[in-house]
Amino acid sequence: MVIIPATTGQMGVLPGHVASIAELKPGVLSVHEGNDVTKYFISSGFAFIHGNSYADIIAVEAVPLDRIDAGLVQKGLAEFTQKLSSASTDLEKAEAQIGVDAHSALNSALTG
Amino acid sequence: MAMAALRREGRRFAPLLSPRPIAAVRSSLVSEEDIPFGARSISTQVVRNRMKSVKNIQKITKAMKMVAASKLRAIQIRAENSRGLWQPFTALLGDTPSVDVKKNVIVTVSSDKGLCGGINSTSVKISKALYKLNSGPDKETKYVVLGEKAKAQLVRDSKKNIELTISELQKNPLNYTQVSVLADDILKNVEFDALRIIFNKFHSVVSFLPTMSTVLSPEIVEREAEAGGKLGELDSYEIEGGETKAEILQNLAEFQFSCVLFNAVLENACSEQGARMSAMDSSSRNAGDMLDRLTLTYNRTRQASITTELIEIISGASALEG
Repeated sequence: MVIIPATTGQMGVLPGHVASIAELKPGVLSVHEGNDVTKYFISSGFAFIHGNSYADIIAVEAVPLDRIDAGLVQKGLAEFTQKLSSASTDLEKAEAQIGVDAHSALNSALTG
Repeated sequence: MAMAALRREGRRFAPLLSPRPIAAVRSSLVSEEDIPFGARSISTQVVRNRMKSVKNIQKITKAMKMVAASKLRAIQIRAENSRGLWQPFTALLGDTPSVDVKKNVIVTVSSDKGLCGGINSTSVKISKALYKLNSGPDKETKYVVLGEKAKAQLVRDSKKNIELTISELQKNPLNYTQVSVLADDILKNVEFDALRIIFNKFHSVVSFLPTMSTVLSPEIVEREAEAGGKLGELDSYEIEGGETKAEILQNLAEFQFSCVLFNAVLENACSEQGARMSAMDSSSRNAGDMLDRLTLTYNRTRQASITTELIEIISGASALEG
């Protein structure tokens, strides 16, 4: 089973899942093989669940959770929150918002 | 033997001969500076110079082959791993190279540096053939060129059809961020119904096959889905999330393009290094052959001049006696 961070929330996929296309938001992907759980933080991407119980997950970046540095995450979150509050144009706001989303997802991935 | 030793030291074999004015024997092909002044015999200087330069070429091409081999090893792993990026898209959307659309954009991937065999020429040849194939009434085909070599060839006769050229792709090591920015650029500035990416797929160190990958725009995907076939099953997929199917398809098409382009660029870089390896290998082998032939000529010339000197001396001596 895999739990994927779709834009609509965490989605669990088991064999026999209905065929779907899901867009992913930054979050934790956990792969459960029997009793082993491997967790990855993915930046974003797509998940295709095919009718024959095959799932393809394409992510732009995927990092095993133990490789993430908590200190840098906090720093990045603070930096982007500050940028969001001081953003003037829509583009800057959007960029800062993306940074905040990614970093808060990283944060919750490390703590949760 | 003594004469040969003296000649090697560049000294004249003076004692036996009277110091008469020396007329150097020159062949018509040889210029003044090649033969040292005062040389009486047939000079091997020309051949020696050629041998030196051919030996240098052999060394340089051998070194280039080693460099290409090491670069190939590094990039081959990345290229093979990146194949997994576009495979899910093909599993979902299928591959329809024969789709008939109005606006085609041909993205040709080539190298910036030369001396890599014929891979860039094959890519350009295929791009031109595709252009001809896709031309027709109210059809529009444009080029987007990546790399200097294809640009140089395409600019000659298709200059007005080139929409965008990008070079110095490999200045920094290839990474996805750079390619996604590039893909974004192309998607924003070029209107397309179908994007056809031409690159050399890396099969092995000696075989690279020109390949075309097709990425369809969301509208064409809808159109083909209605027509049936692999894309017809697209409707059976549920769309997760609050976005409409059109939005998801748009994101999907853009992501697919950047993934396919990333893989294409990596595979082409791999093929470039492989082609350069084999080109430099055949070049150093040719230089080796040339060197062998020159050595034979050199030896013949040398022996001929020794014989000539001997004859002169002996005939001179016998003239003195007799």
